Amino acid sequence: MAYSSAAAQGKRKSFLDPRTKIALVVILALFVLGSLGGPRMEPVKTGLSALPFLLLLLEKQWRRFLRGLVMLEVGYGLLGALPYLPGTLNFIALMCGGILTRFVVTIVMGEYLISTTSVSEFISAMERLRMPQAITIPMSVMFRLFPTIQAEWKSIRRAMGMRGIHLGGARAGQVLEYQMVPMMTSSVRIGEDLSASALTRGLGAPVKRTNICRIGFRAQDIVLLLLCLAVIILWLIGFFGVNLW
Amino acid sequence: MVEIKNVSFRYGSDDAGVKAKNSLKAVSLTVSDGEFLLLTGPSGCGKTTILRLINGLIPAFYPGELEGQILIDGQDISGRELYDTAHRVGTVFQNPRTQFYNVDTTGELAFGCENRGIPENEIYERIDDTVSRFHIESLMDRNIFHLSDGEKQKIACASVDVSGPGIILLDEPSANLDHASTLALRELILHWRKQGKTIIAAEHRIAYLWDIIDRAVILRDGAIARELAGAEKDALTPDELTALGLRSTVMEAPTDVQMPAFLAGDALIRLRDFHFSYRGETENIVDIPSLDIAAGEITAIVGANGAGKTSFLYCLCGLEKRCKGVMEYKGAVYDRKARKKLCFMVMQDTSNQLFTESVLDEVLISLPKNTENEKDRALEILRELDLDDYLERHPQSLSGGQKQRLAIACALASGREILLLDEPTSGLDHAHMMETAALLKQLRAMGTTILVVTHDSELIHACCGRLIAF
Repeated sequence: MAYSSAAAQGKRKSFLDPRTKIALVVILALFVLGSLGGPRMEPVKTGLSALPFLLLLLEKQWRRFLRGLVMLEVGYGLLGALPYLPGTLNFIALMCGGILTRFVVTIVMGEYLISTTSVSEFISAMERLRMPQAITIPMSVMFRLFPTIQAEWKSIRRAMGMRGIHLGGARAGQVLEYQMVPMMTSSVRIGEDLSASALTRGLGAPVKRTNICRIGFRAQDIVLLLLCLAVIILWLIGFFGVNLW
Repeated sequence: MVEIKNVSFRYGSDDAGVKAKNSLKAVSLTVSDGEFLLLTGPSGCGKTTILRLINGLIPAFYPGELEGQILIDGQDISGRELYDTAHRVGTVFQNPRTQFYNVDTTGELAFGCENRGIPENEIYERIDDTVSRFHIESLMDRNIFHLSDGEKQKIACASVDVSGPGIILLDEPSANLDHASTLALRELILHWRKQGKTIIAAEHRIAYLWDIIDRAVILRDGAIARELAGAEKDALTPDELTALGLRSTVMEAPTDVQMPAFLAGDALIRLRDFHFSYRGETENIVDIPSLDIAAGEITAIVGANGAGKTSFLYCLCGLEKRCKGVMEYKGAVYDRKARKKLCFMVMQDTSNQLFTESVLDEVLISLPKNTENEKDRALEILRELDLDDYLERHPQSLSGGQKQRLAIACALASGREILLLDEPTSGLDHAHMMETAALLKQLRAMGTTILVVTHDSELIHACCGRLIAF
C-alpha cells in the first residue's frame, strides 16, 4: 500500500497537547522549583511533584522515570540524614538535597516535554499561543540542539577517557576546562550549520507558516489545565490572606 | 539558468589565512537549465563558496567582500532575502548530522513547504509523491537521530525534493557515505536529471558521478583552472587527473579490493569474544568470536555504514564497558582496562579529542608521568610530524588534516603501540589523502600497528597491506 503521510500524522498524536505540557512546566517551575506561596502550598507541591512521573509512566519511558525517581529519593534521603551529619558534610548535604528536591521534578517535566514533542508540534503550539517568530524559532532550535549536544558531550567524554584524562587522574583539576574547549567549538559549529541549513529552506519568511502536524486539546488536556488553574486559584486565595487549612 | 558574472569574494575574517583560503577571484560561470555541473578541485579551492553564492548564504549568512553579479533566471539575487532564493534553490549539505531542523523525518520533509505557507493538504500530497519515488517508506515517521548517515543523506535529498526547487546544489553529499549509499545517492541524482533539474555538485569523490555529469569545472586557488565536457572529459587519463589534483574517476567498492586479512608469517594480535550491542537492542552490532590481526601492519577495515566498524574500534580501545573481549598480544593478555593504555583512536571528528590551548600543551599532557626532559621529547615528536611551526597555535584553529596529525602526535607521545583511525580521509582531496597515507606508512615504519576504518579504496591502495571486511 502506498505511504500516506496524512494518515501517519493522524495516528502519531501524543497523549497531551504541547500547550498543556508547556503549562505544566511553567506551573512546576513556579510552585515546586520556585516555592511560590511558601509553606502554605506544601501539600499542593507534593501532589504536583507526582505528575511528571505519572506522565512518563503513561508514555512508557521507564529509564527517565527511574532516573528521576532515584535522584529525587537521593535528594530527600540527604535532607532526611541532615540531623546525623557533622559540620561541613551537613552543609554539603543540605545544599545537594535542596537542589535535587527543588530541581529534579521540573527537569523531569522538561525532559518529558522535549522527548514527547516534535519540533513541528512545538512550533504549531507556539503559533496558536500567538507567540512571535522571534521567540518561537530560537526555542524550537533548542529541541534540535539538546540531543545533538548530548551526543557531542558523550563523544568528548569518551575521547578524554582514551587520552587518560579523568577525575582522579594526573590533571584532574583541569578536567572541566578540557571538556569545555571542544564543547564550545563544536556547539558553535553545529549552531552555525543548523542555521545555514534552515535559512536555505526558507525559515523566517514573512508568510503565515503552515504546519502538517495536528495538535488539539482532548479530555486529558482539559483535566490537567483545570488542575493548573486550580493551583493558581489556591495560591491567589492564600495570597489574599484567606486561610483554608 | 544560473549566471555568475565576474565574481570575486573574500570571507570577512581577521585571519589573513582564512581570508585567502576559499576565496574567489573573478570567476565567471554559466549553468544552463537542466545541466548537471560538477565543481571539483583541491580543498580550499572555492567549490563550496560558489554553492553558497548560488543559494544566497553568501553574503546574507557568511559576510565578506563581494564583487560581481549572481543571476538566477536573469534576476540578480545578491540583494534578495534568503527565503526568496529558497523557492528556487535547494541544498544538500555535507554533514548529515547538522542539516536537519526537525527530530522526526516526516516533519523534516514538510519543513521547506511549511515555511512557504503551502496548504497542509498539498504538503501531504507532495510528501507522499516523493516518498514513493524515492522508495523511503521505511524511513518515514522515525527519529532522525536513529538513522545511519546514508539514511540521513536520503532524507536530506528527499526534503529538497518535496520543496521542488528547479536548481539543486549538492555540497560534498557523499563525504560520509559507504559504497552502497553512494550508489543510492547516484540513483537519486539520476532521477532528478530525468526530471530536468539543474544540478550543481561540489565533490572530491568524483567517481560516482563522473559518467553522468554534463561538464566538470576544476577550480584551483579560487579561479577556474579547467573545464571539461564530452569526449575530452571521458579521455582524461589517471596521470592527468593527479596533475589536476583530482581523485580517481573509477568507482571501486572497498570490499572488492583484493588483499589478505592475515598472512602466515605475521606477528599476531588475537582478539577473542568481542561482542557488543547498543543499550536496549538485542542484536549484537559487534559479534566477533575470534579475529587475527597482523601486528606492525596497516590493516583496512571495510564494510557498510552501520556494520559496526566504529563500535568495533571503541570496543578495541576499551571505551565500551560492556564489551568483555580480550586481546592477546606479545605473549600477554590485555583486558579492557589494559587496552586503554595500549590503543589510541583517532576519531572521525578530531576536534572532539583536542582539549588544551596550544599544540605543545596537547602533546605535553599526553606524555607518561615522570618523563625526563618533557619539553624536548614533545618537540621531537612534533618535529617528526611536521607540526613544529604551530607550537603555540590553538589546536581548534588548525585545519582538519593538522588536527589529525596532532591527535596522532598525542598517540605517539603516550607511547601507544596500536593506532586506530576512523574514516581519516572522508572529505579529503587527493593530495591530502596521499599525505595521510604517507603519514600512516611513516608510523608503520616506526613500529606502530595501524587499523583504519575506511570507505576510501584509494587510501587502501595507497597504504594498506591487510584488509578485513565486516
